[in-house]
Amino acid sequence: MTIAAETDPSPAFHTIRLSKVYGDGPTAVHALRDVDLDVAQGELIVLLGPSGSGKSTLLNILGGLDRASSGEVWFHQTALTAMRERALTDFRRRHIGFIFQFYNLIPSLTARENVDLVREIAEDPLSAKEALDLVGLAERMDHFPAQLSGGEQQRVAVARAIAKRPAVLLCDEPTGALDLKTGVRVLEALAEINKRYRSTTLIVTHNADVARLGERVIHFSDGRIRTIETNAVRAPPSELKW
Amino acid sequence: MVKLVARPLDRKLLRDVWRMRIHAASVALVLGCGLSVFIMSVGMRASLEHTRADYYADYRMMHLAASLVRAPDRVAADLARIPDVAAIETRISGYALLDVPQIVEPASARLISLPLGGRPRINDLAMVRGRWPDPAKADEAIVSEAFATALDLRIGANLAATIHGRRHVLTIVGIANSPEFVFVSAPGELFPQPERFGVVWMGRTALARAFDMSGAFNDAIFRLSPGADDQRVRSAIDEVLRAFGSSGAYGRDRMMSDRFLSEEIKQLTTMAIFLPAFFLVIAAFLVNIALGRVIATERSNIGLLKAFGYSDLAVAWHYAKSALMFGLIGASLGSIAGVVLGRAIADIYRDYYHFPTLAFSAGLLTFAGAWAAAIVAVSIGAIFSVWRAVRLAPAEALAPPRPAVYSRSAGMLARFAARLDAKSRIILRRIQRFPRRAATTVIGIALAIALLVVASAFPAVMTQLLSVHFSVANRQDVTLSFVAPREIGVMHAVAHLPGVISAEPFRADDVVLRHGRLEVREAVLGLPFNARLSRLIGSDGQAMEPPVAGIALARALAAKLHAGPGDEIEIEQVSGRRVQARIRVSAIVDPMVGSSAYMNIEDLGRLFREPGRISGAHLSLDPARYAAFNAQLKETPALAGASFLRQAERSMRRAFDEGVGVMNYLYIAFAAVMAGGVAFSAARVTMAEQERDLATLRVLGFTRGEASYVLVGELFVLALLAIPLGCVLGTILGIWLMRLFQTDMYSFTFIFNPGGYAFAIAFTLACVASASFIVRLGIDRLDMVGVLKARD
Repeated sequence: MTIAAETDPSPAFHTIRLSKVYGDGPTAVHALRDVDLDVAQGELIVLLGPSGSGKSTLLNILGGLDRASSGEVWFHQTALTAMRERALTDFRRRHIGFIFQFYNLIPSLTARENVDLVREIAEDPLSAKEALDLVGLAERMDHFPAQLSGGEQQRVAVARAIAKRPAVLLCDEPTGALDLKTGVRVLEALAEINKRYRSTTLIVTHNADVARLGERVIHFSDGRIRTIETNAVRAPPSELKW
Repeated sequence: MVKLVARPLDRKLLRDVWRMRIHAASVALVLGCGLSVFIMSVGMRASLEHTRADYYADYRMMHLAASLVRAPDRVAADLARIPDVAAIETRISGYALLDVPQIVEPASARLISLPLGGRPRINDLAMVRGRWPDPAKADEAIVSEAFATALDLRIGANLAATIHGRRHVLTIVGIANSPEFVFVSAPGELFPQPERFGVVWMGRTALARAFDMSGAFNDAIFRLSPGADDQRVRSAIDEVLRAFGSSGAYGRDRMMSDRFLSEEIKQLTTMAIFLPAFFLVIAAFLVNIALGRVIATERSNIGLLKAFGYSDLAVAWHYAKSALMFGLIGASLGSIAGVVLGRAIADIYRDYYHFPTLAFSAGLLTFAGAWAAAIVAVSIGAIFSVWRAVRLAPAEALAPPRPAVYSRSAGMLARFAARLDAKSRIILRRIQRFPRRAATTVIGIALAIALLVVASAFPAVMTQLLSVHFSVANRQDVTLSFVAPREIGVMHAVAHLPGVISAEPFRADDVVLRHGRLEVREAVLGLPFNARLSRLIGSDGQAMEPPVAGIALARALAAKLHAGPGDEIEIEQVSGRRVQARIRVSAIVDPMVGSSAYMNIEDLGRLFREPGRISGAHLSLDPARYAAFNAQLKETPALAGASFLRQAERSMRRAFDEGVGVMNYLYIAFAAVMAGGVAFSAARVTMAEQERDLATLRVLGFTRGEASYVLVGELFVLALLAIPLGCVLGTILGIWLMRLFQTDMYSFTFIFNPGGYAFAIAFTLACVASASFIVRLGIDRLDMVGVLKARD
């Protein structure tokens, strides 16, 4: 399966009445309710909202990690909602870079090898050194995760996510476990990559100040989009505080 | 009413065990297998010993016996006067050729006289059906149960017998068993052929008339006073009977039936130790794997318990209890299975040995031993993990664990790792990082392979033994034994029997061999040079010529005498002229069956001053004239017996199949439990530990198959490492076990059997593959988001 991405003028993501319900009957949890959203290619969006508001659920469905209960998700011209498991795996493999709060590096592989892991299944990847250079970690690329600080580990996770030059970067609380200084370095890396490669970037956070980084800020509550703001002036990561 | 309220910790314990039910089941099954064999073997051994002791006591089994040529009845009084002889009975004993219409070949029987006064005071009979013969009727007889059953002989049936050259028609009035003949095989045969050989008891007067033994006897049996000096009584008996052609008094150790029983009991002992030990070790390994994992996942709970004020000992006891529960479940399973297995085996034994009763019963001590062994095994398995829980400081336990620290490998391994893809590198580094656990898995799988190597070695060794004995060493169709040695000229008549293609003479003498202070009673066989039918087997397993000079000893015999080539030993005939001589050992041979001594036939004749006399002949037959040959044989009174090789082979094969065959299925089933249990536990632990890495791989876009590679790959690398270890271990165990199972009757040598190794490896890998496949299904159910969003 090939999916037109970078050169396609259509929205990177387009969702129609997207809903997600966990469980059924009286214990059912409505994580997403009728979400309609367009995300342009290369856009950097911040998803903001309290815990359980549905922002991570949306991120997971867009990334092919989870399935919607109803509604549609389109990635350019391709309906993700119609895809089977294998196709979703392939979709993640080709187009998506994920970054989580807890880094999720493979502890038995060095920084370089963690990046290499992704390069093995990518079509035209960056070299491990290029990817780690982008996050300022080329010097420490032969260290194992246990030998790196939390911020460094998250930057390796960023490098691993971008090594395959993904069309989309999905970041779920990427600075959630980091202090300000290291968090800023991670956000700088994300912003730099978004700028350089025009990767569509969605950052989930509950930190309001991080919202100043995005072109648009989508506010979630109770599984719905409450408001969408557009930042006329985006703040550089170095000005963010939490 | 007392209400039992479980403490919260105990409720947690039960839930923990339920959560670990797969591990618990593996441990319980492995323990169950081992302990069932333990209870079965120890119980069966005790049951057999008790049954034998009771049978011998109830039916007054003889302690000593002596065969002689002929002694007048008055000698019995001299024998009775020997100190410590509690009872003596004289008998007339001999052999008869039977004409049984149901079978083509001639059958034969051991004839034994019953005392004039009624029932025997020694070696009494256990009557199954019918009555005792009427002393007034010469033709009435009792036959042994196995023989009657095999030929469907009923009370009142007639049996045509040629006794001492005269034809008699006997009437069967009773069917019985005797402690003397628990195991019955014809002279020269190793295994029972109940349709061709039986025991017939007749009235003393009738038998005396048939054998021309009126007023005389040729067999004496003795019971001794408690605490009697067996050796001294034997010498005294020999003193009395030497003049009457006695070949020496002997004890139960030289009675075929008792010897067989003793061998059986010995083998049960070997089995009671070997297999269970194997399984207990594996169970300890499995507990180690399972509990290690539990303690790792329970880190924060351990911290919490300690923070609440539970002592180290209380925490240790809490986790040790889960291991003990595994042990107790396994011990219960093993106890039940052991009794079921024991009862099934007891049925086989009862039928095979014709005991009047044989009930399997395992004593309380046996069960206590099994349960204690289970508790010790799981405790040893638990001790390291529990110790880890004890050592964990509460603050440290409550903090998230530090990520596993990996380091780069050095040298060769690093160069090798550099050439691998990232997924393979994950596998390699995990093995390097957790060597003890990897070793545990490797050893567990290796033990399963070893068990299978041993299990598949047994049939191969049997096949080898049968093929060497029946295709290389003995290629005759039939072996005839004469009642008494004959001149070599008789070969002319033998060669002219119907259908005889070729004939070779042999000579056999019962002798005592002495080397230094060691003494063994055995047979020495004289074989002709250039023999084509019955041949000697050298240590290379190939046929060889009999020694040009000196005597060749079977390996087991040489070991008993501590004699080797070049040593001079003493040889003494136990009957006839009782010639004594010294002779040099010229070679050690490996006949596989029997442990005789061998000479060339001319030397042996000259040694015993009977040149040119032979004991029997080996014949090859024209199959087309088989019936004619046998018809003629049934009319030939001068024969003590005829051994048909194909039938001997069949009976031997049957005996092996019943014994080794059944055990083999058990071994294979147990090995499957072992390999499956180890692989399953290892796979579950790997899966639990790598859940996060596997989810990461899936999120990064690796397919299920690719993610499975990391999980399954690790297990397979360990399984591959286990292969050479398992093969070596299996070989060592095999060699050791073959030695343990060696008896006077067979010498087993472990043979390298590539098919057996291939089977052991393939079977174990299949078990590992099945276990990995089942655990791998977990990857399909992996909650990627849940795992990755959770803190480690």
